Amino acid sequence: MKLLIIDDAPEMLRAFRDILEAYGCEVYVAENGEEGLARYTEVMPDVVLMDILMPKLDGISATKKILEMDPSAKIIVISAVGKSGLDNECLLAGAKKFIIKPFKIKELLSSINSLVAE
Amino acid sequence: MKGIESVRGYQEEIIEAIPSTIIVVNRSLEVLYANRNYYAKSVAKRERDVLGERLSRVIPPMLIEKTGIIDKIREVFLTGVPFDGDQIRYPGGMFYFYKIYPLKEDEESISKVVIFMENITELTRLEEELRESYVKLENAFAELKENDAIKSEFISTASHELRTPITVINSYIEMFEGGMLGELSSVQREKIEIISSQIEHMIRLVEDMLDVSRLESKALKINKYPIWVDDIARKAIDDLSRLAGLKEQSMSLTIEGSHSDVEGDGRRIKQVFNNLLTNAIKYTPEKGKIEVIITDEPEDVCVSIIDNGIGVAKKDQHRIFEKFYTGSGSSLTRESGRMGLGLAIAKGIIEAHEGRIWVASEIGMGSTFIFTLPKKL
Repeated sequence: MKLLIIDDAPEMLRAFRDILEAYGCEVYVAENGEEGLARYTEVMPDVVLMDILMPKLDGISATKKILEMDPSAKIIVISAVGKSGLDNECLLAGAKKFIIKPFKIKELLSSINSLVAE
Repeated sequence: MKGIESVRGYQEEIIEAIPSTIIVVNRSLEVLYANRNYYAKSVAKRERDVLGERLSRVIPPMLIEKTGIIDKIREVFLTGVPFDGDQIRYPGGMFYFYKIYPLKEDEESISKVVIFMENITELTRLEEELRESYVKLENAFAELKENDAIKSEFISTASHELRTPITVINSYIEMFEGGMLGELSSVQREKIEIISSQIEHMIRLVEDMLDVSRLESKALKINKYPIWVDDIARKAIDDLSRLAGLKEQSMSLTIEGSHSDVEGDGRRIKQVFNNLLTNAIKYTPEKGKIEVIITDEPEDVCVSIIDNGIGVAKKDQHRIFEKFYTGSGSSLTRESGRMGLGLAIAKGIIEAHEGRIWVASEIGMGSTFIFTLPKKL
């Protein structure tokens, strides 16, 4: 399974990569929304894990842009921001799921698996 | 009988006793009468120096000039309309207030007017002081609000910023625990469990901080739907039974009546039970007793959480619901692992449900925390 992770925290990218690779996923990363868009067309991943607060292009705008290019894109927004209403904003932008940090790896994996199974 | 009837015959004594200056003049502005207060306050001490004199000679020229009182008296004679008062500032910071009333002989003619004059310097000074204090207070309040906003913003930012590192640490802990980074020895496994439980604790603290900043910015989201308080209580007790077990405490649940007509946010109400029960466990000695009683009131469902622990001092009882309050002892003696947020959050959640929360307690006799949730009528 191909995953694209878009997050501006290198440690977070590293941790995602370590874990998801250990589960046998093929992991690609990008450090901001803009880079994420470029990587998406290149890789065409099964699922995108998207941060919200990022330089250049934020996660919500990036979500919209990816969906413009590929309406079948499966995007999970993962954010540290628990602001009320943000989950709805992300879902309205077209994200399939909204997960708040910190989360359990098992929860994340089951979210990814259920999306892929759709 | 009107009240005034009972004092007829005492007019003189009453007028003389009034602590304001009273002067009566005729149309020629000659003084016909001045009360005792006038003599007490002026240079002319004797009636014969005053009666029959022109007004302009018995009150200070400065006052005449400042008030334009002569013209005003003439106006009252002319129109018959009372001059209802004015405040004048006198050199040296004195303030006077005066009024002029016509004394009518009949509907047509006015032969006399009465002038009331009062030194209101002290009153004016107090008024000014009050105004100044008010401005100071308002400024201080604005500053306090700003500081509070900065602090709330800081708490919110800090708790957000902590989430990513916590997630990273948590992820690796999960990998260790899952054996994905090689088999762990029993010692390693034990230490990883300690790290894991401490990270769990840290997550709870971060969540609490965030909840408090949400409460302050009124951003706490309450999703209302029908809830079963009994079930929530049962689940909360179940979750904490292991913790109570460590101290060999007994926990019981008593349900009186049926409580199916409450709407609220189940997850948040569970959090209230959690915070109250955790406190009860913490502040009740080993082998203590913790009881949860849910009763049916006409308009509310009422939950009491009763322990036989150390209790809360009277002077602390209204403050324990404030954020960051951890008892009246010095901060050095406070227990670790808590920030004084649990009760503040519980209060915020209950109030967002339009319920009430309070404590009844006596030192050494245990505490009863009570909260209500309004029934959907």
